[in-house]
Amino acid sequence: MNSQAHILVVDDEPGIREGCRRVLQEEGHAIDLAEDGKVGLQRVRERSYDLILVDLMMPDIGGLDLIKSIHSIDPEIIIVVITGYATIETAVEAIKRGAYDYLPKPFPPETLAALVKRGLEIRDLRLVAQKLFNEREQRLLELASEKSRIRTIIGCMADGILVTNLERQLVLWNASAVKMLKLRGTHESGQPLDHYIKNKALIETLEKLLSSEDANVSMISQEIQTDDPQAVLMAHMAPVRDEQGTLLGAVTVIRDVTKLKEIEKIKSQFVSMVAHELRSPLAAIEGWLDVVLSGEGGGDDRQRHEWLLRAKERARSLLALVNDLLEINKIEAGKVAQKMEAVDVAKVIAKTIEFLKPEADKKLITFKTKWPDPVPSVRADVQDMEKLFTNLISNAIKYNVDHGTITVTATADDHFVCVHIADTGIGISPADLPRIFDDFFRVENQKTSKISGTGLGLTIAKKVVDSHFGHLEVESQPEKGSTFTVSLPRHLMKT
Amino acid sequence: MRSKEKILLVDDDLDFLEMHKAVLASHGYDVLTARSGQEGLERVRAEMPDMIILDLMMEKHDAGFSFSQKIKTDPLFKSIPILMVTSVAEATGYRFSLPEDGYWMKTDDFLDKPVPPDVLIERVEKLLKDRKSST
Repeated sequence: MNSQAHILVVDDEPGIREGCRRVLQEEGHAIDLAEDGKVGLQRVRERSYDLILVDLMMPDIGGLDLIKSIHSIDPEIIIVVITGYATIETAVEAIKRGAYDYLPKPFPPETLAALVKRGLEIRDLRLVAQKLFNEREQRLLELASEKSRIRTIIGCMADGILVTNLERQLVLWNASAVKMLKLRGTHESGQPLDHYIKNKALIETLEKLLSSEDANVSMISQEIQTDDPQAVLMAHMAPVRDEQGTLLGAVTVIRDVTKLKEIEKIKSQFVSMVAHELRSPLAAIEGWLDVVLSGEGGGDDRQRHEWLLRAKERARSLLALVNDLLEINKIEAGKVAQKMEAVDVAKVIAKTIEFLKPEADKKLITFKTKWPDPVPSVRADVQDMEKLFTNLISNAIKYNVDHGTITVTATADDHFVCVHIADTGIGISPADLPRIFDDFFRVENQKTSKISGTGLGLTIAKKVVDSHFGHLEVESQPEKGSTFTVSLPRHLMKT
Repeated sequence: MRSKEKILLVDDDLDFLEMHKAVLASHGYDVLTARSGQEGLERVRAEMPDMIILDLMMEKHDAGFSFSQKIKTDPLFKSIPILMVTSVAEATGYRFSLPEDGYWMKTDDFLDKPVPPDVLIERVEKLLKDRKSST
C-alpha cells in the first residue's frame, strides 16, 4: 500500500483540526481539513481518502448521517469518530453504522497516531480483499463465457465428443456423440458412464485409460461397433492431465468411418482386380518367351516366330489395358481438361466410322447412318466425343457377326441429342446386361473368347458420358444384337 | 519315344493351353485341351486322361475348384493326378501349400503361372511316376 495515506479531518473546532493535522503530518500522511460536514463531503467527492476523522457533533450535518454519506461514495474508507461529550452509546451507534472506531476528546497525540495506524492497516486489508474479490468475479465471468464458448464449439463438431471425469461420470458431450452412440438419459448430467453409454467395449477402454498408472499412455484408438451393422465408428480416447501430470479424466473423440471403410474395401477390390488383370497377360508373355528360349517346346523357326507373335499380341493388349486404366484415372481425378464447346456429333461419328472402316471391312460389316441435317450441336469436349464413339462403334464391330450391319441414328429434342448405335451381333444375355458397365467385366462365353478387350471400354464410355451430364443406356437381345443409346445435353448458348 | 500318356489341359486362356501343349507334345505326351470346366469333364469322361493340368481361376472364379472336386470324388476318376496352375497366389498374396490346403483343395500339386517348361515337365513326370508306383 501507499506509504503516504490521505486523511481528512472533519471537525468544527479549529483546535482539534489543527492538532490532528500536526500529529498526522508528522507520521508522514497527507492531511486535508474540513470545518463542517458539508465541506467534508465535498472533499470526499473530489478525491479519495484512506481514512477520515469525523466529529460526531457538528452544527450542519450530524456525524451519523455523514458516515452514511461517505460510505455511499466509498464503502472502504476507514472512518474514526471523534466524540466530545457524547455518551458512549452514540459512539457505539456510529460503529454500528460503519465507523471503524471512536476517539474520545480530549485525546493524547500518541493515541490518535496509534488508532490511525491501525485504521490504515485495516484499510489496506480491505483494499486487498476487494481487489481479490473483483478478480474472482472477473475470473468467474470469463470462465462462464469460456465454458459456453467451448460448448458452442464442440456442439458444432461433426465428430462426437465425450468428456469423462475421474469418478467415471460423463461431464460434457455433444450432439454428434448422442447421435452416433445413441446416448441415453442425456438430460441428466454427472451420472455414471453406463447410464448413458450402451457400448460395453467403449466403457471398458475408458475404464482402462482412467485406471492406468502409466503416465505415458497418450491415446487409445479403437473401432467400435454399434447396433447398426453397417456403421463403423472410430474412437480416439486421450487422458486429460493437469500441469503436474495428475490424471483428471478422459476425452473421447468419435468419428464415423463407415464411408472410409467402404472406400477402402472398394479400393482394395479394385487393386486386386487390376493386379489379376495385369498378371494374366504378363504371365502369358513370360510363358511364351520361356517356351521359345528354353527350346522345350520344340518346333521350327516358323513355329517359334508364331509363338513370339502371340507374346507380342498379349503385350499389346496389356498396353491397351494400362492405357485404359490411365484414362479412367484421369477422368476420375478430374484431370482431363475438358473444353466444352458446341460439337457436331454427326461429324465426329462420320469421322470415327471412317477411322474404323478397315476393322469393319475385315468382317464385311456395313454401316447405315441416318440423322437430321443438321444435327443440333451438343455441349461437349471434342476429344471425349471421339473417344466415346470410337469405344462404342469398335464394340459394335467386335461383337458383330460377319456380314453384319451397324446402324447409327441420331434424334434431337429440346434438351438432348440422342445417338443410337445398333449392331446385329451376338447380343448380351439379360443376366450379363446389368454388369456391362462394371470395371473389367467382359461377357465370357464361346463366342466372345476370341474377342480381345480390356473390359474397361464401356466403363470409360460411361464415365465420359457422365462427365457430360448425359446418359448411356443399352438394350440387347441375345443373337439379335445390342443398341447403345447416348443422350447428350444440347448446346443452348448462341454461338 | 515313350509310351504316349494322355494329359488333359483345362484353361480358359488360349495362350496357356497352347504353350503348355507345345511343351508337353514336344516331350512326347498326347495332349488334350478344354477351355472350361464343363468341357473338361466331358473330355475326362470320353478320353480317360492319365493326368489333368488345371487352371484354378477360369471364367467363373470357382470353376477350377468345383472341377477338381468332381474329379476327386468320382470313384472312376479320383486316381487321376491333378496339377493346379494358378495366377492367384501373387495377385492376392495368398499362397497355397499342399500339406495345409491339400485336404480341402482336391489337387496333387500346385504351380504358379507362368510355369517354366523344365519345371512343368519335371512335375508332370513325377506325378505320373507316383501314380504308377501306387497302382
